[in-house]
Amino acid sequence: MNQRPFVRKMIYLGLIAALLVPLSLLSMPARRGNSQEAGSKGGVLAQLRDKNRLSQANLGEIDPTSETIKLVTLGLRGIATFALENKATEYKLKEDWTKLKATLEQITKLQPNFPSVWENEAWNLSHNISAQFDDYHDRYYWHIEGARFLQDGIRHNETAPRLEWYLGWIISYKLGRADEHLQFRRLFREDTDFNGKRKIEDRDNWLVGREFHLAAEDMAARHEGRGVNNPLMFYYRAPMCRIDYAEALEEEGVLDEKAGAAWDVALRDWIEFGKRDLGTPDQSERMDDIPIVRQQIEDLYKQLGELPPGDVPNKLRAEKRAKLADKEIASLEKAPDSRTLDEVQLATMAEQKLALGADEVEKAVDREHRDEARKISTKVDDLKTRLTKLEATRDHVNYDYWKTRCEMERRPDTLEARRLTTQADHAYKVDNDLLAAQKLYDQAFAQWDAVLKEFPTLRRNTIVNEDMMVLIRKYRVLLDKLEIRELPKDFPLQDIITAHPTGQ
Amino acid sequence: MVLETDPLPLSQWLSGALPTWLFVVGAVAFGWLLLGFLISTLKNGPGKAGDNIFRLLSGAVTDLAHISPRRVYALARLAVKESSRKRVFAGLGVYLVILAFAIWFLDPRTNDPVPLYLSFVLTATTYLILIMSLFLSAFSLPADIKSHTIYTIVTKPVRPSEIVLGRIIGFSVVCTAMLAVMGFFSYVFVVRGLSHTHELALSNLKAVKVTAEPGDGGEELTGFTEAAHGHRHEVVIGPDGTGRTDVAQGHWHEITSSGEGANRRFTIGEPQGQFHARVPTYGKLSFKDRAGQPTTKGINVGNEWTYRSYIDGGTRASATWKFEGLNEADYPDGLPLNMTIRVFRSHKGDIEKTVLGSYILRNPATGRTSEAANFNAKEYAIDEELVPLRLKDANGNPISLFGDLVANGELEVELFCLAPGQYFGMARPDMYLLPHEGSFVANLVKGYVSIWLEMLLITAFGVMWSTFLNGAVAMLATFATLVTGFYVLFLQQLGRDEVVGGGPTEAIFRLAGQTSITVELDETLTTGVIKGIDDVVRIGLRAASNLVPNFSEIAGTTYDPRAFNIPMGDAGFVADGFDIPPELLIQQMIATACFLVPIFLIGFLCLKMREVAQ
Repeated sequence: MNQRPFVRKMIYLGLIAALLVPLSLLSMPARRGNSQEAGSKGGVLAQLRDKNRLSQANLGEIDPTSETIKLVTLGLRGIATFALENKATEYKLKEDWTKLKATLEQITKLQPNFPSVWENEAWNLSHNISAQFDDYHDRYYWHIEGARFLQDGIRHNETAPRLEWYLGWIISYKLGRADEHLQFRRLFREDTDFNGKRKIEDRDNWLVGREFHLAAEDMAARHEGRGVNNPLMFYYRAPMCRIDYAEALEEEGVLDEKAGAAWDVALRDWIEFGKRDLGTPDQSERMDDIPIVRQQIEDLYKQLGELPPGDVPNKLRAEKRAKLADKEIASLEKAPDSRTLDEVQLATMAEQKLALGADEVEKAVDREHRDEARKISTKVDDLKTRLTKLEATRDHVNYDYWKTRCEMERRPDTLEARRLTTQADHAYKVDNDLLAAQKLYDQAFAQWDAVLKEFPTLRRNTIVNEDMMVLIRKYRVLLDKLEIRELPKDFPLQDIITAHPTGQ
Repeated sequence: MVLETDPLPLSQWLSGALPTWLFVVGAVAFGWLLLGFLISTLKNGPGKAGDNIFRLLSGAVTDLAHISPRRVYALARLAVKESSRKRVFAGLGVYLVILAFAIWFLDPRTNDPVPLYLSFVLTATTYLILIMSLFLSAFSLPADIKSHTIYTIVTKPVRPSEIVLGRIIGFSVVCTAMLAVMGFFSYVFVVRGLSHTHELALSNLKAVKVTAEPGDGGEELTGFTEAAHGHRHEVVIGPDGTGRTDVAQGHWHEITSSGEGANRRFTIGEPQGQFHARVPTYGKLSFKDRAGQPTTKGINVGNEWTYRSYIDGGTRASATWKFEGLNEADYPDGLPLNMTIRVFRSHKGDIEKTVLGSYILRNPATGRTSEAANFNAKEYAIDEELVPLRLKDANGNPISLFGDLVANGELEVELFCLAPGQYFGMARPDMYLLPHEGSFVANLVKGYVSIWLEMLLITAFGVMWSTFLNGAVAMLATFATLVTGFYVLFLQQLGRDEVVGGGPTEAIFRLAGQTSITVELDETLTTGVIKGIDDVVRIGLRAASNLVPNFSEIAGTTYDPRAFNIPMGDAGFVADGFDIPPELLIQQMIATACFLVPIFLIGFLCLKMREVAQ
């Protein structure tokens, strides 16, 4: 009998058995231990997954529904998702919200560990669908549905802080900045289903949104900052929520110590935000470092000035300044926050012309000190780059404005100015008592004048100016009804009117 | 409910569909005979070919004329036994498993769970029963032919027509039994799944009359229930301790109480009013523009979906529905007017208030109108207005609805938006009269009848394909028929060149060149050839769309109502709480018969031509 096929088969079986050993070492799954027996770390791959936090269990909860639906698609998960996305588009077009929501849930069950899918579908619910409804109760309902959707997504993606951040965004910004924000804030306070055991007085959408933002920051800290693509915008929302909360309180007529305390806390958080390092391990980036960096640049210029023949930077700058046009010089001499748009452009160009390059400094210094001059100039350039970046970061979030604004708003005299304004508005619009309203407006403007004198940067600020102009226009209409055609000659905020682009 | 295409009355549909069907059947028969003649001519010459065709046809006529119901019944019984042996009823187990795990995927807390649950059970049933009938029908004959057991049958003797008919009937009986069981479990699943109650504690209530504390009796109590299934209800309990909740998620509950004082307990009953089978009376819709002049349709406010047109608020623009065939006996308590109006705001307006509208009723013959009735627009919900039998005209004089406003059974309802800068959107089915409601259970059964019709078709197709294809290929062919059936409307759109991006050849060309579908192709020789090929392909697609049954849904779909293969899917009606019109079901039955007859004939002729049947 021919035994060669049999021998071949035995050899193959032996090889297969032998291969099982390295296969097992590589791919044995990890096993959790219990009280009866110890667990096992599993094979090489399981240990690598655990070490680099790549296994699904490391990402978050594993949902049996999700696993089931993935299994029954038999590897066609991508096609199933595509088909469901098409269906979702069709349901959205045909305004079938119930089926759309069900389809979005199916999509996330097929792709539970893609944060962008949760984010995208939550956006669909809280932005696209909610906007379709006329009644604000329905719009609120869909905003909260988007929030609940994200809460589900967070359970599956515990290493994705952006979902928690986005949840905070929906609760704080989406509810708080909508046209119907007063109504939404009221509904949110009354919403026991979403707020759970939270006390009524704590159910402010800004404060609750801030809690979610802080939870996102905790999550990011636990995972060494992974998942945070834009640190500035990521960490900016939590302190900004405090400011928004304080503003909302005043809008709702709370103008007492509670409002003052809210601004106080907002200022504290904002200053802490300025101290936060938003950079990388190689380069720190704190907005609070701006004065330090400026000082460092000044010190280095002093060092350059000490190099023979002496005072090189100032001499070079003087020469360049002499070549500037009068308009450019005038714009440079004006305070930055009081410049018009044209003046800002002129000042920027002038500053660029005045900037000292490393080459020209090196040439102006005596030959034997040129190496040193070059090194110092290079350091100056690096610090200037860093300063530019820090200033851009600061300007991006309007850091200085909000800091000064918090300092102003928390003061009792500012609260008094706001109270007077509110009383004047009430006398005018509700009581229709024009004379009383005029008196109160006069007192309010005097109070605002006193407050803004303490904060000249805010007095020149366009946002504050526009708010004052709204008041002034209302006052003008009131005066018109009293047949007074002109503002009083000693009107306290005349400078604001004059500085306004329309001049009225 | 969204009805993009209005089904035609039966007689009107028949007058258009029947000639089309006859033409299609005739064309297919002629094409088939011609093909057979040509093939036979190549083999045996034209004379013999003609003789073969004649003998085939005459034999077929004899065969059909002598079909024995007794033998058909016996073969059907055999098919049923064969199915039982194959444990096809295990499919019911699969369905029960699907229902058992469905609760993971269905959220009863959604704002409108009834359509969701009903859609799910009807869709799951459709897919499962069609797949089961596919497998059952496609493998049976080929298995018999392969195992030579077919010879036992044909030597009985049994005619090929009886074999085909017997199998179709037998498998249909099996699937019908399974469908009936699935229907029963579906009903139980939906009712049980949506069944819930709420907790209501005395502490949640407050007395409306402040002279008494809660629990002392003799006062009206109001408050809110605890949340369940993602919602809660506002309650009003009368002095007698009974009351009802408001409507939330489309239902309400009865409330009873027991005990007194601080020990008073409230019981909230099962949900009521969830399941509907509305029998609407639709009217014809026309529009007037902002100057009050008739226009074909209203304004488009920028929606991609143009199902609804809009009218300007605060102008003379209006939408008018003209109802016909109104009978006073059908409306003993007044005219129940239901509407679902969309709102588009061009400015925020008063956020706290919904947009105000009004409607008047008009006698189409005399022009006499009622006084305007105002309403606050409710979006995505049915606004139920009841017009009283006695009302006032535009001058404040008392009038009778049927005496003064309804003329020869006709009545016009004209709707206005009162808020300037805001718009109301509507389509024809968005306003209707509701003289009565049908039985939900009967409507659910009708929905299952439409699924049954689809099952009959797939069974027939499966048996037909299996008469000349082997098992696996017959299964694939039936599967292709099934899938194509769900995309018939797309095929029709492709055939009429209504799809952006051109036909199949152009699509391949665009894919290869990564050209967007919205970009016009340059006019070159290549694109000319491609478009020419597609023109020919479109003819085939139009033909193919008439050869495959239409398994699309009627609700929410645009289709040609004059075609004989109208959509068979009625799940939308049941899910949205509307009665399936009996005329529509009859049309679907006739459409099914339009397919069954030729499929049976094709299957019979194919089996007859095979050696095993000779």
